[in-house]
Amino acid sequence: MKKYETPLLDELEKGPFPSFVKEIKKAAAKNIMANDELGQVEYSYKTNRVYWKHGGIVGVLGYGGGIIGRYSMLPEMFPEVKFFHTVRVNQPSGWFYTTEVLRELMDICDKYGSGICNFHGSTGDIIFLGTTTENLEPIFAELTSHEKPRHLRFDLGGSGSALRTPSACNGPARCEWANYDTLEACHQITHEFQDEIHRPAFNYKFKFKFAGCACDCVASIARADCSVIGTWKGPILIDQDAVKWHEKKGMDIDREIVRMCPTECISYDGKELKIDNDECNRCMHCITRLHKALKPSGERGATICIGNKAPIVIGTIISHVIIPFMKLEPPFTEFKELARKMWDWWDEHSKPRERIGEVIEFQGMRSFLEAIGVEPIPQMIKEPRRDPFIFFKDEDIARVKEVEEEEKRTGKIIF
Amino acid sequence: MEKEELKDKIYALVLAAKGKKKLKERDVINGVSEGTGVDKDTVKQTMREMIDVGRLMYSYAGGASSVEIPDEAYLREKGMIK
Amino acid sequence: MGFYGDRKLTAEEAKKLRETDIGPPYFRDFLPPVIKKNYGQWKEHDILSAGLMVHTAESGDKIWTIRVATPRLIATDTVREACDIADKYCDGHLRWTSRNNIEFLVSDEKKVEPIQKELKERGFLMGGIGYRISNVVHTQGWVHCHGAATDASGLVKSMMDELAEYFTTKELPNKLRLAVACCPNMCGAVHCSDIAVVAIHTTVPIIDHDKLGKICEIPTSIASCPTKAISPYPEKKSVKIKDEKCMYCGNCFTVCPAFDPFDTERDGCAIVIGGKVNCLRTNTKFARLVVPFISNRPPRWPKVVAIIKHIIELYAKHARKHERVGEWVDRIGWERFFKLSGITFTYQCIDDFTFMRDTFRNASTFKW
Ligand code: SF4
Ligand code: SF4
Repeated sequence: MKKYETPLLDELEKGPFPSFVKEIKKAAAKNIMANDELGQVEYSYKTNRVYWKHGGIVGVLGYGGGIIGRYSMLPEMFPEVKFFHTVRVNQPSGWFYTTEVLRELMDICDKYGSGICNFHGSTGDIIFLGTTTENLEPIFAELTSHEKPRHLRFDLGGSGSALRTPSACNGPARCEWANYDTLEACHQITHEFQDEIHRPAFNYKFKFKFAGCACDCVASIARADCSVIGTWKGPILIDQDAVKWHEKKGMDIDREIVRMCPTECISYDGKELKIDNDECNRCMHCITRLHKALKPSGERGATICIGNKAPIVIGTIISHVIIPFMKLEPPFTEFKELARKMWDWWDEHSKPRERIGEVIEFQGMRSFLEAIGVEPIPQMIKEPRRDPFIFFKDEDIARVKEVEEEEKRTGKIIF
Repeated sequence: MEKEELKDKIYALVLAAKGKKKLKERDVINGVSEGTGVDKDTVKQTMREMIDVGRLMYSYAGGASSVEIPDEAYLREKGMIK
Repeated sequence: MGFYGDRKLTAEEAKKLRETDIGPPYFRDFLPPVIKKNYGQWKEHDILSAGLMVHTAESGDKIWTIRVATPRLIATDTVREACDIADKYCDGHLRWTSRNNIEFLVSDEKKVEPIQKELKERGFLMGGIGYRISNVVHTQGWVHCHGAATDASGLVKSMMDELAEYFTTKELPNKLRLAVACCPNMCGAVHCSDIAVVAIHTTVPIIDHDKLGKICEIPTSIASCPTKAISPYPEKKSVKIKDEKCMYCGNCFTVCPAFDPFDTERDGCAIVIGGKVNCLRTNTKFARLVVPFISNRPPRWPKVVAIIKHIIELYAKHARKHERVGEWVDRIGWERFFKLSGITFTYQCIDDFTFMRDTFRNASTFKW
């Protein structure tokens, strides 16, 4: 195996934080692809530019996603990364594993790939970094083989203009704040929409992320076209003794809790903590700080937000609230129907490479809300419009006229 | 409509667009469904059968996915031709 | 070794064994017994140190979590090493966080000390829990992306080597979330991170006209430009770019490889600060540009690292407890931030893209 001098990358082996260079070298010690990857990355460091070619069409038979074609621009210098495709493997909900399944996956990655992976890709998949075109079908067969026990069988994730692999926070598995079963939701939605994940039918990508509460540990609001964020409707339950415990531990309840509540709905007289629950907007600040003393109660569900995307083309958007509260329980029928309605509307109104958030801006929120069958309520918005350029349909005016008729009849003004 | 006839219609639509316009899956489904009156689910199912045997394929370029007619290299790699 | 051993499957075999659309395996099969038993019944958690927390269920059962950093890019043998440790102390159970950390899940208190000891001996870095810096969300960079204007892994490593004590020990006023994106596509949560680096181009793409005509659709190429800088160039059966209108986003390159936005001298990094994802106290915030351009200086990007460290130290010193970076800056004002930090304010910091109006000041109420 060719030995590359890597003086620049060697620098990045030093220091306390775990080093990706050590990882590449570990793989390169026994894998020729990883070795040429090391050589090419060093060459990038030396010359200040990237040497991967633009895309390329590869995949497994029948699927339009899950594999990203990757080719070196310098195959003469680094022949073993002439083909260096990415394989996206759909992770289990919440990224929980047993060592048995991880070993199985690593063995497949070593046998057919570079021995380098990502735990995990930005969207959530397990990534096998680097394999050849002819290895794609064998990898796919090893992952999905019907001879294997079910828990060892993995499928590919999404790529291209398709539903991308959904992901979820660890939810009820290990968090007291999860307002719905993020893991089960993610699992069932992923299984429901296998076709949408594997066979790109959309105009662009579409992502779901499931977060159990406003802490949003999967960054759903900033990383998913459809962000599903857990919330509750009941009062915050208070354990007064535990409040005292926090105070004894050094917390300044007045400064850190009472005065930091955004809705100013908490009071504390040194003896009893009180919350005016009607005025609480469920921001989670007090609950996360007084974590032994406070917890949400009552009806649980999620706020559904739509539209997040990165800056290209019209600037960054974070998801907007469209359904302030939806119950989310297996089998998640209402949610699945919502997804289908959203996609139909999006498909009808978009051009290639337009994300749903952009299309909502072009078409107006009303068109979208009508398509998914949602009536407007103030919880959806931050503030009402500030201009007088208002669209009306005939039926809107007719409705106003009707109300005015009624006012005339009854002599009472209706707001 | 006979399945084979429907397959030919689907193939013809993709072929006609070749080199002119990239068609995504839904474009093909909508186009064929409108042209033939066959419902969209059936068109989709039929198209999937064609993709599963390599008569059509998914492609990806310029940041968007599309449906194309496979070239020889693809068919050879998939073991569809020798 | 593996279900099918060392032998590679032939194409024929693969065809017989493969099955499509089976989806991911069921996560419940992978949960430790104590989690299965107390699923949805957790009562509270305590952070015992930067790398250790314990969750207690209503039943009184407990599970300890030990968190270690990884560089995200990981060799199969390192995953196996983590598996060996999980077999020894965690009955074979472990998970990953959304920020590339491994979490070892221990259900026997007696094993908590020993696993920490062994992790330390093996050189794993424990930390990231609580009001600290967790691992850095980042993109592929030169390691594996075709569009990278810089390397992401190297920047992360360089930053975190300098900031490691904020991962392993030192506390901050609140969590601090870092991110690196290796091009303006900004995969990852750069736009909502406390402090983030986004790699940018600063030159107008060069067009390979022969290639463009052959491999790209002209209307699609024209439509790709957010600022309408691209127009037809019929003489060459291609397109041209109006230089003054181009802000080097590289979207034309994403759509068509005949555009080349790369420039070894003028690609570099911008720094944005003040974003947040969660809605605790204040709503989700976007990160804002404070440093528009720093030249790429692999392997250690010293200027990028120095500026980020400087901002973090300022934040540690000046923010009130529970304030995120963006909340702190909102309270003191951006003019105060630039004064405190000594960072030069330039034209580039003034927005001229789609959301610019929301960023201008409309009052005479500011500080000097
Ligand atoms: S959840 Fe937020 S708004 Fe509600 S009481 Fe607590 S701090 Fe106040
Ligand atoms: S880099 Fe961006 S702004 Fe410049 S021509 Fe390309 S698409 Fe337009």
